[in-house]
Amino acid sequence: MVDARAFLPIAIFAVVYAVIAFSITNSYYQLMMTLVLVWATFGLSWNILSGYTGLISFGHAAFFGIGAYTTALGQMYFDLSPWLLIPIAAVLGALAGLLIGFPTFRLRSHYFALAMLAYPLALLYVFEWLGYQEVTLSMKHENAFAYMQFSDPRIYTLLALALMIIVVLISRAIERSRFGMSLIAIKQNEAAAEAAGINTLLWKLRAIAVSGAIASATGAFYAIVLLVVTPVSVFGMLISAQALTVAMFGGVGTVWGPVIGATILIPLSEILHAEFGARFPGIQGVIFGIAIVVVILAAPEGLFWKGQEFVRRRWPRLVARKRVKLADAAAPSAFPVPQPAPFAVRANQQSDPILSVRGLSKSFGGLKAVQNVSFDVKRGSILGIIGPNGAGKTTVFNLLNGFLKPDAGSVVLEGRDIVGWPPYRICDAGVGRTFQIMRPFPRLSVTDNVTVGAFVHARNDSEARRLAEQAVMRVGLSNVADQIALELTTKELRLMELARALAGQPRLLLLDETLAGLGTNEAAEVVAVLRKLASEGITIVIIEHTMHAMVRLVDRFVVLDHGAVLMEGEPQTVTRDQRVIEAYLGTKWSAYAQGR
Amino acid sequence: MISRKLGLFGRLLLPAALAVGLAVPTAQAQQPKEVKVGLIVPLSGLYARPGAVMRMGAEMAVDRINAEGGIKSLGGAKLKLVVLDSGDSTEKAKNAAQRMIAEEPDMVAATGAYLSSFTLAVTEVTERAKLPMLTLSYSDLITQRGFKYIFQTSASSAAQAEQSLPVILATAKAAGANPKTVAIVTDNTAASVSSVKPMRERLLKELGLQLVVDETFTPPLADATPLVQKIRAARPDLLFFLPTVISDAKLVLEKMNEFGMGKGKVPTIAFGIAMFEPDMLKTMSPDLLDGMMGAVGSWGSKGHEEIIAELKKRYNEPWMTQNAISTYADMLVIRDALEKAGKADREAVAEALRTMDGGPSRYYPGGKIKFEADGRREGAGLTIIQWQNGVPVTIYPPDLAMAKANWPKN
Repeated sequence: MVDARAFLPIAIFAVVYAVIAFSITNSYYQLMMTLVLVWATFGLSWNILSGYTGLISFGHAAFFGIGAYTTALGQMYFDLSPWLLIPIAAVLGALAGLLIGFPTFRLRSHYFALAMLAYPLALLYVFEWLGYQEVTLSMKHENAFAYMQFSDPRIYTLLALALMIIVVLISRAIERSRFGMSLIAIKQNEAAAEAAGINTLLWKLRAIAVSGAIASATGAFYAIVLLVVTPVSVFGMLISAQALTVAMFGGVGTVWGPVIGATILIPLSEILHAEFGARFPGIQGVIFGIAIVVVILAAPEGLFWKGQEFVRRRWPRLVARKRVKLADAAAPSAFPVPQPAPFAVRANQQSDPILSVRGLSKSFGGLKAVQNVSFDVKRGSILGIIGPNGAGKTTVFNLLNGFLKPDAGSVVLEGRDIVGWPPYRICDAGVGRTFQIMRPFPRLSVTDNVTVGAFVHARNDSEARRLAEQAVMRVGLSNVADQIALELTTKELRLMELARALAGQPRLLLLDETLAGLGTNEAAEVVAVLRKLASEGITIVIIEHTMHAMVRLVDRFVVLDHGAVLMEGEPQTVTRDQRVIEAYLGTKWSAYAQGR
Repeated sequence: MISRKLGLFGRLLLPAALAVGLAVPTAQAQQPKEVKVGLIVPLSGLYARPGAVMRMGAEMAVDRINAEGGIKSLGGAKLKLVVLDSGDSTEKAKNAAQRMIAEEPDMVAATGAYLSSFTLAVTEVTERAKLPMLTLSYSDLITQRGFKYIFQTSASSAAQAEQSLPVILATAKAAGANPKTVAIVTDNTAASVSSVKPMRERLLKELGLQLVVDETFTPPLADATPLVQKIRAARPDLLFFLPTVISDAKLVLEKMNEFGMGKGKVPTIAFGIAMFEPDMLKTMSPDLLDGMMGAVGSWGSKGHEEIIAELKKRYNEPWMTQNAISTYADMLVIRDALEKAGKADREAVAEALRTMDGGPSRYYPGGKIKFEADGRREGAGLTIIQWQNGVPVTIYPPDLAMAKANWPKN
């Protein structure tokens, strides 16, 4: 049902485009119709990597050129048909993607972008050095169909349209699956994605392989259209820029972006060129440049998102109606409340530690952030970690969930030493985590945010969806499930982060200052949720400053000071301890704890 | 919902954009006494300057033809030059060619497109439209594709590589010298390396020349002294010099002058047309360049004095490079083909080009105005030019030479 609605615009686009293409008789406009689709497809390939993951590639010409030379050389040396060479180009493009991605994904943000710039430039010189300065696809008079050489240029438009529709469908499928969710999570917050159980390197490699395959297939088709392949015309800087331009102009991170961008920019550039090229040489470039600058200034994220914003504001009912419908569907509690194993009495579990930390140490240069920290977390209990600022509390969490590797010590989770495991694997082993500084994916809805965390234990997308919806319900956010994270209050965000961690079906939750920034009443609501979770059998380790809430929540405290354990014990003991009062609580706390 | 709205938005824009394009006046009012010829050259971007010079040559030739009474076999029909900008990329060149074909169905012939890769792309379009196309581009590939509507007026790259050494030796002999030893100083860019390769491997040996200095440097050059010292020590009879970056050329030439080897004392041959463009005088004094020789596809030469003078007067160009003279000549060839065809029809003009024998070439060096089956001009030769008193002048072949070679006797 969702699918039919999603595919309708694509189908309409295809039909309208084909009708326009067939009604044009001017061979020049027919060529334009083809090139618009070629560049839209190339933009889509770029979007799959850079639009979704946020890792900007300045080097997509590398894949494009590999594809173009595959058709040119494949036909020249082996007399193969483009029908075969385009799929071969796609395979080569995917391999190139993996080869490029593996070393380059070590880099982030602008370092990644700059490194990508180097690949097509290097390939450009390699192909010049190999002596392929100019390669032409020979004209075939016989068997023109097998060589994709049609006298009717409209057939090229149809082929380009078919290619683009395939790529749009691939993009859509990615967008709606855990693939796309993972990429978007990486884009919005790679650390949070990793902590939510996403193997970020693996997904990025998949993305660059798919993206490279599509870019290469597009380049292969482009060679058929242009018939001449030179290193500059397929590996050149302008080719990489073309992908960025159409995608950024139209809208990054959506299938419609590159399509809109190419549909406007390619004809615009050509019309300017045709109109002014011979009369005021060079002016076309100036006008084109100004047009792009103006649009980027007015719509920095691209025309699509600007348009979406406009629609939201102008016709809010369109958006509102959708939300109401979803809320209705959620209301009659269609989901069974998860029935955890009966942990009736928490005290009974206390003999069995779920997590055992021994001699954990970590230094940053000369700073001993964590020194020889040991403690046990008993299954089904709530452990509070407290201490003054800079005591090393968050560092301990980062050591526990794999963001940092300890210099010494062991972390044993349910009998297995997890030191050195990457975060996604620790998450997979049953440890969920939230952050002191919240790390939501602001553009995603609450359910989508939580779904990202659900993939780790879901066999398929619909199961992930179901787990996410359960988690959202468990924290009591069902009524805002369809809002984007940007619109939530701090309390809702904290609960959403909690739900994201819960969606991974953890047995142990690491909560980093979940109550920070909340008012007393709000904190009480969150505490109630935490208590409920604990009663359902989830073990919780929580870092918190809000002592009012903490003394009522936790079973045991570990007090850290200067990276070392100052003391460990039950709340009453800890809050009365003179050392703890001096180091951290201050005198008025002992009075409070005594009065408890 | 939202995406559908925007999809619609996108879909509406293309027809709108195309409509703007369609509003361009595509078909001018039919004037029976006008024959359209095309010039498709880069007028914007990196190659705009050579394109502009080609346009000068074409305009001068068309004006001359029209002033002389147009095409007589067509009742004095005038030529109309249609200029298209091939831009700065292969794709733009192909688009421009497609536009030319779509919007000028009555065009009879065209010339262009300067860079070989642009010409290759353009002719893929013109060949399918059966529009005869002349070109000064060198690439062998242009006439190796079995095309029937392409006519290459310059000697092809391979032919130039084979010809240039013998022609340079002939120039030396004509000046009374007999070179035996050769030095090569080249940078390591792809074009330079591929030019030098056949010389090193084969051509020098075949001509009995001995390679005494063989130096390759990476641009930019910091100091030319060691290079030039090696040349001075070996005192070669000929120096082949292949810089790509002008500042490198300047450094080497300055050092050579300093060491007393400038002004042709060590006969120096530079490759490519760039070292002989008027632009060179903006960065180098004529003194430094004096004596430097080059082998080019064609050049303003003896018998072209009137045209050179007109170019100077009309466009303020100090001398006539290959781009101007070749394009000028192309228009005259098209005129002759039209006269022979007797009708303004591209197929007839193409057939006339294939079968014409216009006798010895006046404006291109060597050979005849006659095309072989693959479209190459029969006997297409080279012109040797030399910087003399701030102007590159033709010194070989003798029938085109405007000055004697400045060559030291040995």
